[in-house]
Amino acid sequence: MSPGPGTADDLGRRLRGERYYADAGLLTAIRLALALGRPLFLEGEPGVGKTEVGNVLARVLGRELVRLQCYEGLDAAQALYEWNYPKQLLALRAAEARGTDIGDVYDELFLLERPLLRAVRSSAAVLLLVDEIDRADSEFEAFLLEFLGDFQITIPELGTLRAAQPPVVVITSNRTREVHDALKRRCLYHWIPLPEPERERAIIRARAPGVEEASAVALVDAVNAIRSLPLLKRPGIAESIDWAQGAAVLAAGGEPWPVALRRALGLLVKDEEDLARVESHAQEVFSAGG
Amino acid sequence: MPAADAAHTARAADHLDGFLRSLGDSGVRVPVPKRADFLQALALFPPTGIDGLYWTARVTLLTRIEDLEPFDTAFDSWFRNEPRARMEVSLPAPDEPGEALVPGAGRGGELPPESLGEGSGLDASGIEVVSRKTFPAAGAEARDLLREIRAALPRALPTSEARRLRRSRRGPRLDLPQVCREANRTAGEVVRLSWRDRPRRPRPVLLLVDVSGSMKQHSTDLLRFAHAVVAAAPRVEVFTFGTQLTRVTEQLLDPDVDRALDSIADIVLDADAGTRIGTALDELLGNARRRSLVRGALVVVLSDGLERGDCEAMIRGAHRLGLLGHRLVWWSPLACNPGYRPVTHGMHGVLSSLDALAGVRDLDSALAAVRLLPATAAGPRRGAARAWTAAA
Repeated sequence: MSPGPGTADDLGRRLRGERYYADAGLLTAIRLALALGRPLFLEGEPGVGKTEVGNVLARVLGRELVRLQCYEGLDAAQALYEWNYPKQLLALRAAEARGTDIGDVYDELFLLERPLLRAVRSSAAVLLLVDEIDRADSEFEAFLLEFLGDFQITIPELGTLRAAQPPVVVITSNRTREVHDALKRRCLYHWIPLPEPERERAIIRARAPGVEEASAVALVDAVNAIRSLPLLKRPGIAESIDWAQGAAVLAAGGEPWPVALRRALGLLVKDEEDLARVESHAQEVFSAGG
Repeated sequence: MPAADAAHTARAADHLDGFLRSLGDSGVRVPVPKRADFLQALALFPPTGIDGLYWTARVTLLTRIEDLEPFDTAFDSWFRNEPRARMEVSLPAPDEPGEALVPGAGRGGELPPESLGEGSGLDASGIEVVSRKTFPAAGAEARDLLREIRAALPRALPTSEARRLRRSRRGPRLDLPQVCREANRTAGEVVRLSWRDRPRRPRPVLLLVDVSGSMKQHSTDLLRFAHAVVAAAPRVEVFTFGTQLTRVTEQLLDPDVDRALDSIADIVLDADAGTRIGTALDELLGNARRRSLVRGALVVVLSDGLERGDCEAMIRGAHRLGLLGHRLVWWSPLACNPGYRPVTHGMHGVLSSLDALAGVRDLDSALAAVRLLPATAAGPRRGAARAWTAAA
């Protein structure tokens, strides 16, 4: 059992201390992931704070964050390790020139550490964040599955390396494709929904400190009105924070708040068609903003 | 332990067991390790209330957000007296699981062919006539033409550079790891240089085949053509549309063209009926995962572009197709006529988004159009309007 926060309240408080406002479901998921030693698999719409869970949790647990960003074509050389061939070659040449013994060129000295190897070799326990796994090829999932089973990596020239302390693993997916069941079966699954207005206001207050209370209320109401429109891309929390910060900058420059909100709309809605749609519903969207 | 407590625990265990079994009955598959997780979690953190129990169960037992509704129903009926207000979870879009982009990947699974848009097309009566279409068998001549098309396609389809490097005899990039590995073998002496390059691979192809009434006499040949494309190119998706959008890629994977078309007749229910191109495009583009099929793909629309009613949705849809895809090509049987000009409101509006507009009404003209594809792929974007204005 990992040394994790004891009660749900305690965990929630510590996350809030890092300016992350988790709901009951996410708190349960995190506590169970820590207690059962299972990876935490997070899905949700873009911009609801999936990656941020990894970042914040690393700080709360006092662990080093090791991040593996997935992309199409990601292979073992970029996820695990690679031999530093040029360095080996130089060492060979140097040894030759000095006339000394060549020694072992397959030494840890010549190993380029990639995220997964780093998670295994680190002496202190780490938090491994596998970000956007849906972008990687499905073959990579099978590979990751093996790694998550026993947290060990076999390097033919060196032998098997095993993590001294199993890392806490957070996997995120934007759900552009379905991740294989076998992987999800080994994880605790949590879908992060868009936050209810009250929690979103708390988030805005924490992340955009310059925004007044009444303005934050107006902003969150407007965001929720916009989310209810049939948009191609519904704004997430990340966008509403951006919007609040942008509008706060404009408001500090002397613009009245409703005008600042409308000027900064490009921070919330990032598609021309969606912008047009929001503009055509401006009345209802900004009615709360006055 | 007092007897009352033991009886209490036994009842609770029975209750949990019943809940887990009813989950299975309502279609939420819970593998054994997940059940073990659930029970272990209960032992570790005994939940203080029903909400605590709910979240413990949901986090440990659920693996897909689609299962949330049956899960909630089962949970409510076992642990709550009255259904609580449901938290609204909006899905990006329901879709077939797995990698729709790779036709081969879906072959093993038995996904029922999915037809989108029920509800959008069914309520407009008068236009929709649901009937089973029959396709005539392909004769020897048609099969010869199809063979020719399959042979011409690999060279005609646009390509993109693959991401992964491949060893090549002379590539633009030095394969340093390989050079060093070989040099290590020869005591640090570089004897031979190794090279790598990025191979070119065909871009994905997306075919949208109009099977509405106005295309009636052409749809057999056009679907045969689609069959040839599925056979000849690695990443192809085919949808038919009339009043609704239907994915027919799975059916076209059948190696025999007649059998493939016959199984299409089973699932395409809107053949020879009305046309709502705009709605069909909205269905395609309104869904994030289907939209990803368009990205970077060669998009071919096989349709006469005769839209019923308002054309705005079709024009907007075609515009987005053009923005998302690599090239957008429109093949219309009407354009085979030398006197044809894209002057109907719909086609006129769409024209500015197209990279090419060509006449295709049967396999002969399809073969000719395939041979023109490389020129389209090499030309500037949205060249159709220019070509057709020059022709006029």
